[in-house]
Amino acid sequence: MDYGVGNLLSVRRALEQCGATVAVTADHEALLAAPRVILPGVGAFANAMAELRRQGLDTVAREIAARGVPLLGICLGMQMLLDESEEFGATEGLGLIPGRVVPVPALSAQGHPQKVPHIGWNGLVFPEGKKSKATTLLGPLKPGAAVYFVHSFMAEPADPAHRIADCLYGGIPISAVIGRGSVFGCQFHPEKSGAVGLTMLRAFLECSEIPVLA
Amino acid sequence: MKKRDVIGQYRLPTEVRFCKKCTVSNQRPRITFDEYGICSACNYAEYKRKHVDWDVRERELIELCDRHRNANGDYDVIVPCSGGKDGGFVAHQLKYKYGMHPLTVTWAPLKATVIGRRNLDAFIASGFDNILGTPNGRVTRQLTNLAFTHLGDPFQPFIYGQTNFPLHMAVKYGVPLIMYGENGEVEYGGDMKNAFRPDRDIQDHDKHYFSGLPPAFWTEHGITEADLRPFMAPHYEDIVRNRTTIQFMGYYKFWDPQENFYYCTENTGFTPNTERSEGTYSKYASLDDRIDGYHYYLAYIKFGIGRTTSDAAHEIRDAKITRDEGVALVKRYDGEFPKKHFEEFLEYCAITDGQFHEVVDSWRSDHLWERIGDAWRLKHPIWDEEAQTVRL
Amino acid sequence: MRKIRLIARLDIKGPNLIKGIHLEGLRVIGSPNVHALRYYQQGADELIYMDCVASLYGRNSLGEIVKSAAQDVFVPMTVGGGIRSVDDAMYLLRCGADKVAVNTAAVANPQLISDIARRFGSQCMVLSIEAKHIGPDRWEVYTDNGREKTGRDVISWVKQAVALGAGEVLLTSVDREGTRKGFDVRMIRAVTQEVGVPVIASGGMGKPGDVLDAVLEGGADAVAMADILHYGRATIGDIRSAASTGGIEVRAYEPA
Repeated sequence: MDYGVGNLLSVRRALEQCGATVAVTADHEALLAAPRVILPGVGAFANAMAELRRQGLDTVAREIAARGVPLLGICLGMQMLLDESEEFGATEGLGLIPGRVVPVPALSAQGHPQKVPHIGWNGLVFPEGKKSKATTLLGPLKPGAAVYFVHSFMAEPADPAHRIADCLYGGIPISAVIGRGSVFGCQFHPEKSGAVGLTMLRAFLECSEIPVLA
Repeated sequence: MKKRDVIGQYRLPTEVRFCKKCTVSNQRPRITFDEYGICSACNYAEYKRKHVDWDVRERELIELCDRHRNANGDYDVIVPCSGGKDGGFVAHQLKYKYGMHPLTVTWAPLKATVIGRRNLDAFIASGFDNILGTPNGRVTRQLTNLAFTHLGDPFQPFIYGQTNFPLHMAVKYGVPLIMYGENGEVEYGGDMKNAFRPDRDIQDHDKHYFSGLPPAFWTEHGITEADLRPFMAPHYEDIVRNRTTIQFMGYYKFWDPQENFYYCTENTGFTPNTERSEGTYSKYASLDDRIDGYHYYLAYIKFGIGRTTSDAAHEIRDAKITRDEGVALVKRYDGEFPKKHFEEFLEYCAITDGQFHEVVDSWRSDHLWERIGDAWRLKHPIWDEEAQTVRL
Repeated sequence: MRKIRLIARLDIKGPNLIKGIHLEGLRVIGSPNVHALRYYQQGADELIYMDCVASLYGRNSLGEIVKSAAQDVFVPMTVGGGIRSVDDAMYLLRCGADKVAVNTAAVANPQLISDIARRFGSQCMVLSIEAKHIGPDRWEVYTDNGREKTGRDVISWVKQAVALGAGEVLLTSVDREGTRKGFDVRMIRAVTQEVGVPVIASGGMGKPGDVLDAVLEGGADAVAMADILHYGRATIGDIRSAASTGGIEVRAYEPA
């Protein structure tokens, strides 16, 4: 989905590398007809949501989700799936996965200051009992596989069932992959996470057992 | 002060034209342009690149070294150097690649820079014998003042000394071979008569490096013959008896000053300056003297050719930068007034700010400069070429 | 514990990858994309592209090179050199850059940092600093690829810039870069203890083990390397091993 925000070139290239035919577009019909949709995003939440709304793409996104077509939000795109964000004052999101977007903690679990934004490679951890969902989206990836994060805010799904994988930053879990029904999000950049990221994208493109929206 | 006849004295063309390939203009004394508007230095650079068999040239160097090498380890080649990248390259190659025993000789800068001295020390520490020739300080100052006032170049005495000191050392140590880096006339645009030989005649000194004035001129101004001796060449008969030959490494090896810089950082402890020299963008060329900036500045006044123009020109010829980039650099840095050591220079020459500018302005030829209000401006800067061509 | 990033730095002039010393000299090493791909395959965590003559000539011409790299390189890329406006930044991001690095224009107009951060996010806005040692525990900010002094103190500048929104700092030592003599650890430590954003140490890596100094003593969050890679004296793998053996946590990576 092209709404004027983000590094679309790399996402496109990564998907092509995985064998997909990619259209980068804001055209509502094309988006509604696609078997898979990616919602990218980089930068400020409010700015991005405003752009999305201006082009009517927020409605399109909700419609795609309602139809059960797999939708993957990347980075800010993942954050936008939630109800609301605290960045620069409260802003409403798409509301596809219940929860809020809050700042990445500046203190670690032990109370030591840590750097924000969270930038760098971090390993994925899978919460208890999530193995089957994880396998669906994350394919053959092992726990601890490192992917690339760069963000100052993080998504906090209200329902723990919607957290598919986390990473640990300063000992505090940050949601790395979330999902509800056919709507998924990954906080990290799969198009910037080398071979691991490409594996995940391939799994998203190929996965066939999508549970109905819960 | 009376306006100088720059055109007459240096035999300059009245119409300013720039080389089509590099940034140099026809105002550089002795440079020639061919019918395509390309300067002799650029043509020489092409020739160097395409028509010279460097393997053959290297064999000639090896033969030369074999002829001169001293089996017992005594000095067999004099290498003039300042501690910079060019002399460093020559000395290191001769010693470590060609098995010679160089004596490196340095003519002291008027006011050594910290980085210059550091580079000379590092060079010596990397394994070379060096002799530093320092002339009488009081005399040097007087000569610098006279050269500035009468010749419009404070550096003439230094250049005399720098040229003749290796001859003195060659004669004193009984070493016939003197090996310079490049032949400046040939590489940078000047008298091309020595382009195809490795050496130059010793009588040529006066013609190329002394602006037509012999040291005898100075005697008129209270400088004795004895004072001048260190600056002058040794007796000609002694030079001949020594079978002295002045050769250029630039004939035997493809000359690339920037590559010399890299070579010396790796082999002789050379470090470039961490900031650029005034009047140019470069950090690796001509770093040794705090007041050499005034030599370049006066050249800018006389010929409209500043340090940037020269640095950019050879980097263009050596394919490091394009002509457009060279022009952008010239526009940005050429003719920048060297203010860092200005007070020191005035004090050294015992002149006032007013006297300095009076002398400088006397060298501003009308064919190059015009006065706009309070400021002087070049009539034909390189970045204004389009306008110039149309007008003609 | 955070993983330290190993970043390959490519200095570009026109179509060529080059390498200087003390930010001087334009010796051509080869094709930027051939090298970028090689470093990606060796396991670089990120790449940095710097157009090192951009400020001198008033342009940044990395768009095509970045677009081309983005075809095959799937790790983050930071691009800098001659970025003067939000539009310049936008252009490079659209070409495939993830972050932009700004030095000269930011020093001239610090507001640019806020403008870029506000538009694209702080994590996108890398402050590039060329720092020269001028006295005990004092470093001066240089611009224009090490050609112009500014008279500004590095520590006070970096604090100001981070407060304006810079999300990361690329700290290059003018004194060490290209020399292979090791990092200026004191300088790195002086900066890392003052700012709360990640700091990338750049300039001086001579052997793989030098990464330990930059991280363990200097406190750097990432290390940029150029000379050691371009001249083939070590691979990213060698540096990754040295880091991990030395007790630094790095991304686990096996070349394919």
